[in-house]
Amino acid sequence: MDCEWQGGSMKNIKGRVHLLGDNINTDVNCSSKYLPGKDNATIAKCAFEQVAPGFASRFAPGDVIVAGRNFGINSSREQAVHILRLMGVAAIVGQSFGRQFFRNTINNGLPAIECEIAGIAAGDEIAIDLAAGQLTVAARGISRTVAALPPAVQQILAAGGLIAYLREHPDWQLA
Amino acid sequence: MGHTIAEKILAAHAGGKPVRAGDIVVASVDFAMVHDGRAANALGMIARLGAKHLPFASKTAFVLDHYSPPPNIEAANTHRAMRAFADQHGAVLYDIGDGICHQVMPEGGHLTCGDLIVGTDTHSVTYGAFNALSTGVEGTDLAAVMMTGRLWFRVPETIRIELKGALQPGVWAKDITLSMLGRFGAEGANYRAIEYAGSAVSAMEIDDRMTLANHAAELGAKAALLEADAKTIAWLEAHHARAPQPVRADADATYVERIEIDATALVPQVARQHQIDDVVGVPEVQGRKINFALIGTCTNGRLDDIRQAAAILKGQRIAKGVRMIVTPASRQVYLAAAREGLLEALTRAGASVEAAGCGTCVNITGHLITGDGEVVISSANRNFKGRLGNDQSEIWLGSAATVAASALTGMITDPREVAGGKWTASGRAAA
Repeated sequence: MDCEWQGGSMKNIKGRVHLLGDNINTDVNCSSKYLPGKDNATIAKCAFEQVAPGFASRFAPGDVIVAGRNFGINSSREQAVHILRLMGVAAIVGQSFGRQFFRNTINNGLPAIECEIAGIAAGDEIAIDLAAGQLTVAARGISRTVAALPPAVQQILAAGGLIAYLREHPDWQLA
Repeated sequence: MGHTIAEKILAAHAGGKPVRAGDIVVASVDFAMVHDGRAANALGMIARLGAKHLPFASKTAFVLDHYSPPPNIEAANTHRAMRAFADQHGAVLYDIGDGICHQVMPEGGHLTCGDLIVGTDTHSVTYGAFNALSTGVEGTDLAAVMMTGRLWFRVPETIRIELKGALQPGVWAKDITLSMLGRFGAEGANYRAIEYAGSAVSAMEIDDRMTLANHAAELGAKAALLEADAKTIAWLEAHHARAPQPVRADADATYVERIEIDATALVPQVARQHQIDDVVGVPEVQGRKINFALIGTCTNGRLDDIRQAAAILKGQRIAKGVRMIVTPASRQVYLAAAREGLLEALTRAGASVEAAGCGTCVNITGHLITGDGEVVISSANRNFKGRLGNDQSEIWLGSAATVAASALTGMITDPREVAGGKWTASGRAAA
């Protein structure tokens, strides 16, 4: 692990939008699967370079990724989420996610929100209220309801991920 | 309203209270698996968790199959760490050459009907062939299971797929999944469980059922579930599995979708280069030149696959310039194929037989890299660009029979044509 992240209140997320397309394969773009021996910090600096040149250098901690269908497909290494955390990604909004990737985001304390993304553009300010299940891009008059995450998942996210959660609750006392 | 197999298995493992698709449950796991491709991450997560005692270790298999044999110091050291960790905590170790995780798990008797299984690999869905709910997880999940024996799950929605009729001789489970990938697309069953039923499933031997369950990973499925029958029970007993507790879906279970497929009408299929869901019938692309023919992997490296290949190639010689590699899925499969004379038939025909393991599925051992412009036909499960180490080459996917037929002629070939009268009415190739 290159970093130890903290949980905290994830109720309200506010950040600048960076767009990615459909079928983004995190194995190719965000892991060492095809970059053997490279550490997470190095991969973070070139994340998504093949599909969006200069992406990592434009991305600031606290920003939000907005992506199309099937974000995180393929064998979906957990490392991809570690790298997204290292970049400071506050949340990912996608039309849909690869199953294992979605699981990995929760286990590693990164909110991934399934939502229609039409009308959202790069550079927009996006606000997400996880508990209420609300996504807003005020400047464009976009306000969408998203499925509120189950309380159990919210607890794991709030702890900063499953490892941190189990350190506090080794008996799995989920809501 | 009744329940699906997935709902019933998760409910039984989460305290017994009925659950519905969409619920989040914390469920007890029966057995877990981690392979060398994900072990470094999993061991890191176990260290982060800081657990002093891992009560679930004796129910966890550590499998050295991907980097088999290790191509670099990093992989060799991962193997070293896995052996030491398994020894220290009492995990079940399968070393290099023992076979692919998805083959040694059932062969080792580690799972049975009604089980809940997790493994650090998307193809962990394979065990659904034995009526076990089994799914792919990552290192964090594995660490949680090894410490607590439990894990959180979202109860999946289920698609019920009825395979009606009977497969023609020379057409296999691989062809069914490829045709479904062409129809529904990769990730077409994302997040969902698939229940497979019908006469064509009942007629399948266990090896082909394992292909059917395994390949559901390419459809994005969280699990693939078959009902147990006499063949399932006999196979599990022969491999000393725990007493099976078969789980059937209720007639009034709720499905997100019900699909009927006529197996009788199906012809051999191939996925064209780079895209797993760009699928056509072999007759449409017959005659396309190939350079490499690969049989193996967790999808199609079992005894019945090797039998198909040997039935086509026995007493023959593969086409000039074609290179062919056969990798049995496990040491047991290797030995059985040797006893039946299949390895000799294939070797005489010009193929090379490798030690059991993940073999030529992905270029991570570095022992097979394709040349520019070369075309591979493989019985593997994925054909992403560059998967065999060169993005200037093409990977096509088909059944073991289609791969062997293509090796024989040097071009993509319908196995029903070259096998001629050798296919028996039951669909088995007579070797």
